[in-house]
Amino acid sequence: MPRIGVYICHCGENIAGAVNVEEVRKYAEQLPEVAIARDYLFMCSDPGQELIKQDIRAGLVDRVVVAACTPRTHEPIFREAVAEAGLNKYLFEMANIRDQDSWAHWHDKEGATAKAKKLVASAVAKAAFLEPLEDRFVEVTPAALVVGGGVAGMFAALDLAGMGYQVYLVEKNPSIGGNMAKLDKTFPTNDCSACILTPVMVRVGTHPKIKLLTYSEVESVEGSFGNFKVKVRRKQTYIDWDKCTGCGDCVNACPARIPNEFNEGMDNRRAVYIEFPQAVPKKAVVDLEHCLNCGKRTIGTAPRIHSKTGKPILAPCERACKTGACDRSKAYDPEGEIIELAVGTIIVTTGYRVMDKAPFKEYSPQSPNVVTAMQLERILSATGPTAGHFERPSDKEKPKTIAFVSCVGSRDKRHHTYCSKVCCMYMLKEARLIKEKYPETDIYIFFIDVRTAGKDFEEYYNYCRNLGIKMLRGRVGGVDELPGDRLRVRAYDVDLGAPVELEADLVVLATAIEPAPGLAELGRKLGITCGSEGFLKEMHTKLYPVETPVRGVYIAGCAQGPKDIPEAVSQARAASSAAAVPLTFGKIVVEPLISEVNQRKCSGCGTCEKLCPYSAIKLVEDKGRLRSHIDEALCAGCGVCAAACPSGAITLHGFTNAQISAQIKALAS
Amino acid sequence: MQFEPKIIAFLCNWCSYAGADLAGSLRFQYPPNVTVVRVPCSGRVNPMFILKAFFTGADGVLVGG
Ligand SMILES: Cc1cc2nc3c(=O)[nH]c(=O)nc-3n(C[C@H](O)[C@H](O)[C@H](O)COP(=O)(O)OP(=O)(O)OC[C@H]3O[C@@H](n4cnc5c(N)ncnc54)[C@H](O)[C@@H]3O)c2cc1C
Ligand code: SF4
Ligand code: SF4
Repeated sequence: MPRIGVYICHCGENIAGAVNVEEVRKYAEQLPEVAIARDYLFMCSDPGQELIKQDIRAGLVDRVVVAACTPRTHEPIFREAVAEAGLNKYLFEMANIRDQDSWAHWHDKEGATAKAKKLVASAVAKAAFLEPLEDRFVEVTPAALVVGGGVAGMFAALDLAGMGYQVYLVEKNPSIGGNMAKLDKTFPTNDCSACILTPVMVRVGTHPKIKLLTYSEVESVEGSFGNFKVKVRRKQTYIDWDKCTGCGDCVNACPARIPNEFNEGMDNRRAVYIEFPQAVPKKAVVDLEHCLNCGKRTIGTAPRIHSKTGKPILAPCERACKTGACDRSKAYDPEGEIIELAVGTIIVTTGYRVMDKAPFKEYSPQSPNVVTAMQLERILSATGPTAGHFERPSDKEKPKTIAFVSCVGSRDKRHHTYCSKVCCMYMLKEARLIKEKYPETDIYIFFIDVRTAGKDFEEYYNYCRNLGIKMLRGRVGGVDELPGDRLRVRAYDVDLGAPVELEADLVVLATAIEPAPGLAELGRKLGITCGSEGFLKEMHTKLYPVETPVRGVYIAGCAQGPKDIPEAVSQARAASSAAAVPLTFGKIVVEPLISEVNQRKCSGCGTCEKLCPYSAIKLVEDKGRLRSHIDEALCAGCGVCAAACPSGAITLHGFTNAQISAQIKALAS
Repeated sequence: MQFEPKIIAFLCNWCSYAGADLAGSLRFQYPPNVTVVRVPCSGRVNPMFILKAFFTGADGVLVGG
């Protein structure tokens, strides 16, 4: 007969505040097959675990039930304790009397105590049917995938590659670099973004252990922790990258003009283009949607022959290309190429996009002199549309008065309720960069409240104020266009308690940071979810900030929420170290809570094979008869097959029919 | 005395069981007459379990997944 030990936790006051622990203990003690029932202030603490271990070592109990918090967090801890005392760790069961009892019925002490008794009885009933199980181990593929090549993704990739693991870095744009590549200088130290970022981009591009897959996206993810099979689609570039030297001759020859995404639409790029001058890899891409098909020739067709000269009529781009990389007669597959990767762990660092100004009709987005803060970064940048000359878009004049509008789309019920976190600091930065260069400029920042919580940030703020940058508290109600390309900013000054108006030459909108487009879909492919605000959800805000509920998948940077570069990089390096742990250990423990077929009972009907969501079941011929066979490495232990088998041939270990039936009986009676 | 139904809930460990935990940590209050059986997936819930619950005395069954 089993000898079950029941251990009831007070969880300080968390359980004992609603549940009469002594009453539950006495009740447990008299349950059949219970040898001992004890209680303790904190069962998961060292002395608490010691209570269990002593009873096991003394031979008093051979199965353990802990009534405490949720098994989702604490089951692994108690299983370890049970194993340390020499008992099979699967001879353990938990009763959730905190999260699903005391906390939820705090004002109904009697009800909470009665429910605790039931939950304990149910766990004891299941414990009587527990069977010893052995852990399985699965070899880990010593490689990692990083999705998104911004500053976070690059550091995650470099760290893992530096430890010697093969890393695949998938970036949807032609070049790595992400949003930081667009910035001029960066707070809090005001170092030039390009100066600190481009050397990192080069290191990533040349690292022997990093395979860059730019202009690529994740198509599908199969397999599981330790052995993911990822299909990546390399979009068609219509340029032979093996031959392309990035000289830019084709770009200069192309007559098409398309708004340049890298310069936030403030100048034009060509249909064949290199994303930006410092791109890594520095390769050209043909944007087929905007290609003019010069020489009346669509891509993949042979050139017409000149009637007089007898020479082929080439498009300007291919005529300019000296390496043969731009060859429009080649029949390219528009679908691109599918590359299959085998990796052990995955880090998602897909970053953010900034909101466009268009939705903010009240701020006159039609005016070229109303710009987003990201557009201002490009105007200030030496590689931007004005080559670093500080000019406003409408007439190339240097603005004398500038107004910054904060929280545009952030902290606003109509758009996003969250704070974009970096806007206050980057507005101060942009204002400071202008004020330091052109001290005569009048700069006003309209804010709701200035949030400068970060190392050296408050000092930065005070420095800006001392420079003469004026801070006005109050939300901006509207911006109107005035004659002479002037703009009128209407706001309510909270400190004055009165409406204020200001005329400006340039208005800068600090538009909100949003999740990268397509993030939810990428999440679905990986099995991870986004929170209500659309950013990826971490497993635990405090303790597992870079982990996700899917083992082997980690997140970092602005994909997880708005943050600045120091934070994005710290998180990326945390994610890389978390992702390296299983790669270094080389194998992962897989819980043996999976299904098993009793070959003698199986009739070979195939019901289970069709239902298994993980394709883990195959019908295999055995002595002339078909029999179901479960692949242990693929089985996720969902138990769908066990519920569906008409012959009752499948057992899901850890959740057997006998165990669940015993629980039902205990709860229903 | 008012009728208090006895409800047994089969909750998937990955979604609704986690939801029930979250309800607790947010201190949402609900009546204590619902008790939970944790399952690895709502697909594990054999219809026989539901019948069994009714046969042995439950007044209601909730399957969450
Ligand atoms: C106007 C402005 C000024 C700023 N100034 C500063 C500053 O001065 N100092 C500072 O510390 N911070 C600043 N920030 C914040 C800074 O930009 C971010 O902290 C940083 O860029 C975040 O890096 P990341 O790698 O997480 O994301 P990103 O830089 O957004 O990189 C994400 C990458 O993932 C790629 N990607 C997206 N989706 C996919 C997909 N599905 N598949 C493959 N690839 C994908 C993107 O193309 C991109 O290359 C500023 C932000 C703004 C808006
Ligand atoms: S960081 Fe500042 S400007 Fe940006 S949303 Fe938050 S409060 Fe507004
Ligand atoms: S459902 Fe049951 S009987 Fe049918 S093949 Fe699968 S294991 Fe065999």
